[in-house]
Amino acid sequence: MTSESRTMTSGSKVFWRSLEQKENPAGLAEEAKGSDVVKQTVDASDLTRLRRRHFLTLSGAISTLAGIEGCIRRPVEKIMPYTEQPQDVTVGVPLHYASVLSARGESVGVLVQAHEGRPTKVEGNPDHPASLGATDMFAQAAVLDLYDNDRAKTPTNKGAARSQAELDAALAALAGKLATNGGRGLHVLAEPSLSPTYLRVRKQLQDKLPNARFHTYTPVSDANERAGTKLAFGRPLLVNPRLGEAKVIVALDSDFLMTESGSVAAGRGFSGGRHMASAADADPNRLYVVEPSMSVTGSNADHRLSLPAQSIGAYAKALAKSLGQNGVSLGGLSAGLGGAELPGVPKQWLDAVAKDLAAHKGASLVLVGSRQPAAVHALCHAINAALGNAGKTVTYVAPLDADEPDHFADIAGLARDMAAGQVETLIVLGGNPAHDAPADTQFKKALAKVPLSICLSSYRHETGAACSWHVPRAHELESWGDHVSRSGAYAVQQPLIAPLFGGATDSELLAALAGAAAGSPERDAHALVKATAAERGAADQPSWQQLLHKGVSARNDAQVIGALPLQEPAVTAALSALPAARTPSNDALEVVFLADNKLLDGRYANNVWMLELPDPITRITWDNAALIGPSTAKSLGIKNGEMVRLSGAGGTAVEIVAWIQPGQAPGTVGLPLGWGRTAAGSHATGAGFDVYPLRTSAAPHFASGVQLKKLGTSYPISQTQEHDLMEGRPLAIDANVDEYKSTPDFGQWATPDPSATPLWKTQDYSKGPQWGMVIDLNRCTGCSACVIACQAENNIPVVGKDQVARGREMHWLRIDRYYIGEDADQPEVAFQPIGCQHCEEAPCENVCPVNATSHSPEGLNDIAYNRCIGTRYCMNNCPYKVRRFNFLNFNQDIPESQKLMFNPEVTLRFRGVIEKCSYCVQRIQGAKIAGKREGREMKDGDVVSACQQACPSQAITFGDINDPASAVSKARAVDRNYALLSDVGTRPRTRFLGKIRNPNPEMKG
Amino acid sequence: MQLFPRSLNYLPLALALGTGGLGAGVTFGIWYYFSPKNTQVGYAPEQPIEYSHKLHADELGIDCRYCHANVERSQEAMIPPTQTCMGCHAVVKPDSAKLAPLHDSWKSGNPVPWVRVHKLPDHVYFDHSAHLAAGVGCASCHGRIDQMEVVRLDTPLAMGWCLECHRDPTPNLRPKDQITNMAWTPSEAGEQLANAEVHPPQHCSGCHR
Repeated sequence: MTSESRTMTSGSKVFWRSLEQKENPAGLAEEAKGSDVVKQTVDASDLTRLRRRHFLTLSGAISTLAGIEGCIRRPVEKIMPYTEQPQDVTVGVPLHYASVLSARGESVGVLVQAHEGRPTKVEGNPDHPASLGATDMFAQAAVLDLYDNDRAKTPTNKGAARSQAELDAALAALAGKLATNGGRGLHVLAEPSLSPTYLRVRKQLQDKLPNARFHTYTPVSDANERAGTKLAFGRPLLVNPRLGEAKVIVALDSDFLMTESGSVAAGRGFSGGRHMASAADADPNRLYVVEPSMSVTGSNADHRLSLPAQSIGAYAKALAKSLGQNGVSLGGLSAGLGGAELPGVPKQWLDAVAKDLAAHKGASLVLVGSRQPAAVHALCHAINAALGNAGKTVTYVAPLDADEPDHFADIAGLARDMAAGQVETLIVLGGNPAHDAPADTQFKKALAKVPLSICLSSYRHETGAACSWHVPRAHELESWGDHVSRSGAYAVQQPLIAPLFGGATDSELLAALAGAAAGSPERDAHALVKATAAERGAADQPSWQQLLHKGVSARNDAQVIGALPLQEPAVTAALSALPAARTPSNDALEVVFLADNKLLDGRYANNVWMLELPDPITRITWDNAALIGPSTAKSLGIKNGEMVRLSGAGGTAVEIVAWIQPGQAPGTVGLPLGWGRTAAGSHATGAGFDVYPLRTSAAPHFASGVQLKKLGTSYPISQTQEHDLMEGRPLAIDANVDEYKSTPDFGQWATPDPSATPLWKTQDYSKGPQWGMVIDLNRCTGCSACVIACQAENNIPVVGKDQVARGREMHWLRIDRYYIGEDADQPEVAFQPIGCQHCEEAPCENVCPVNATSHSPEGLNDIAYNRCIGTRYCMNNCPYKVRRFNFLNFNQDIPESQKLMFNPEVTLRFRGVIEKCSYCVQRIQGAKIAGKREGREMKDGDVVSACQQACPSQAITFGDINDPASAVSKARAVDRNYALLSDVGTRPRTRFLGKIRNPNPEMKG
Repeated sequence: MQLFPRSLNYLPLALALGTGGLGAGVTFGIWYYFSPKNTQVGYAPEQPIEYSHKLHADELGIDCRYCHANVERSQEAMIPPTQTCMGCHAVVKPDSAKLAPLHDSWKSGNPVPWVRVHKLPDHVYFDHSAHLAAGVGCASCHGRIDQMEVVRLDTPLAMGWCLECHRDPTPNLRPKDQITNMAWTPSEAGEQLANAEVHPPQHCSGCHR
């Protein structure tokens, strides 16, 4: 194998998967075998399982028993029917309930599938505007959080378990005391709420106890967005972008496709704007991203510029000035903008971008992320207004809670009061301030001074353990509640199961403080929500039932605002008050605190699916890392896996492993939040490094002047980007718009079908449904919701960090991430989701010695798990490397509560069998049998695979390729379709549609 | 000096034939006696309540679907909840000692722990409603349950046995209105079913997921 074949080429482009591969293509094979980045440890429990003597004993015993003829009866198995069967339940047929789940400041409408009273799978609610039938990975993983055995199971007081009755008595006593002095000394700290019921109950408590104080804090939020609109328009508003309408999008430090609010709807809108049915009508949108750290949104950009976070404001100002030179005047703001250039930024990034924006007035969009200060947000609103975008590609909606204060100022004030002894009672509703409050507030230390503190959370975490009382919190899937989405849609959250561990909701706890007795309707979340729904148009029982059934109210009370007058003096003042951006250097680095792609701010730290999911960009599992750009790493002399200490910026020093990340702006370090938890549960402990100590309220999003010191030790990182190398073949094929228009079938040019006559008689696929899938790489954003959906649907086990390091991760659907280009500091990125391709001429089927894998007449590649003896010949033969082997019994020692989570439609695999994507055969069979029951044929849309259903961008199409009218047949006919490695002759049923990039011809390089 | 008598010359041959014969015998024995046809058929465990199908289904003429209500709608035929039994037994023989566990279940809310007789392995996904939609009668797989005082496994329920029917379903099909008629035998009606649009799956994913 020559070194040229290692880095694959597609046309003139160079594809690479990691910096090691790029720089040392030939040497990679040796590296992959015994990488010193990975510690070769053998788990002690592996040894006990495989003890030879134990094995021989067992095998001897079994063979003896097997010889006893006629005396062996199978063990008695009991059937437990209902005593009183609920009315709607048909045993064996799952029910679906509409509900809402919240993540990252947005509420996502979901339909939850429940088998015999226990929720097993979350799908999007097609009627909800924030989900449109899709979900993000957090909604998919919610089911695992619900059944997590590490959740708190009883209330505790100073570490000792207490009963619910004792808790109720304590709350009643507290309520009585508070009622006498109007709540003096009571402070309630909560996360920002999307719930009108909660706000109503809080208002009632506020009215009853006028001396009580209410605070809001969460580490990652839209506080800057609200402050920005307040600055620009005089009142806080939420920004609702209409990405589908925009032809030119400029994202300034805004990861709108992943970690900003509303990513599901954003993914749909953005991908819709890139949709093209053929080369003739290819008119995709164009995305410019300016950001410090490579994000999923940056990966999808047509042009990307790495810039330190502190320079984004200067860039926005220069861009605004440049717009002024292109005929888009910013009115009264123009004077204070400074020059139309910025040192260190190529001129084209100001000229060409401004020209492109100016050419698309009313069809462009400038977005700013939640890390940027309010002034930058306000400037962005001014730019949108000047471009005529307001009301067209962006609208504004009043938030539910207009009085929400500035989080960092609020928590700092609360911590000060706590330290001064002025807080007698502190109630913490959700959140984890002892862990994630800014370091300078010293919240945990101040918490010790509070005589009575009550923490309501799912886990007895850092804050819960530090408070006098900890009360288990009901998960969103087991509580009554309601949400208003960012677009104003009102939806009710209904429980799928009674609280597993006796949890309470926020509203119920607040109602208890107001004096409501346990069991009374004032303290019953169901009654509270029903009362709120009555105020919002569901007053009588039929409309309440309709609301519960549909999941979202038809009535949207939110006022959608288009254009608003700008408060120019305030914005000008704020812009001039922005601190000047300094160029970071090796002695004064900038750190950017990133909402982690999987854990967000740490709330999913114990969710093993999130922990094991390879990060969409870094592909690291079970850890976070300090992300350092290649040129900075080179000048600092840092290698992958080296431990470093970061200090300065006012907080406490943090020790973290370094990871070289292409695309990270020079002089900056990306620090994902939420890792390194100490009390989040058994899985979170030891995963990653805590960077919260470095975060202060003065600089909570990015801080400069940070020193980096190499510690000289290394830390093993398990990441999947080196697994399953594909040996220099054209895989994620893409083209520019011009290339596409001149050669529409560019994909098939790269991988031609050999069209050779096969040696054997091929199967006849002309009759009956034939299943096929098309994945549109142009729509896929790399968000990985499909991977988690597949894991939830198919009971895919979690293997742990050590096994991932050995290449034994079990995800049936994986997303390959490639970097493109010669410049390691500014690469392009390509994503390619790959599951089993269900080849018509499958190389895996021919080599199974026991015929465990065979081809169904409908084109599926089947596995009979019980037949597999584990030779792994099929896994070896698969050119796509999509087969997964259960090297160990990953399903042993599952806690009882987690057994409820498994999908009963799919076998749980034992040690020693191969598994792989089955095209959701359980769903195909379910639809087929439903058709037989009802005496009809299946129609297009009856079978929706789990990955297809979860994808926010609708990138996956699945169905019957023998039906010319089906969506998948039409997708297969699109000119840019190609089959992966089709020159090998496997004839896969999964096709890909090549990604089309839309570079601006005026931007060179 | 000859230690061994000449007759021992035949020993290797005798050993070879004996081993071969023994091996064949053991193989045959295991193949026949260990097959589900031998080890499973006839299994009639003791149930917590001595429920007699002969009494209820045959003498009283209750249709299978009155209790096993889900059979046409779902993969599971469903053992009836206590509520179904109490529909009659709240007033019928309320003082019977044999029905004491039933009344205990109704009062306490704990289910009656029936012992499963017809069991398929966990990796097999059998769907009742698909079979009923095709026209397979209850008696084809469950035997003459209506003649059983105690439920007994009458058929091996082995994969090979299932495949025999899947490869040629027509002998086992009956008109849709005769599905719960245990005594039905095919007559001239069998001919019209030969053209029925029944295509049972024979590929792995038909039953194994």
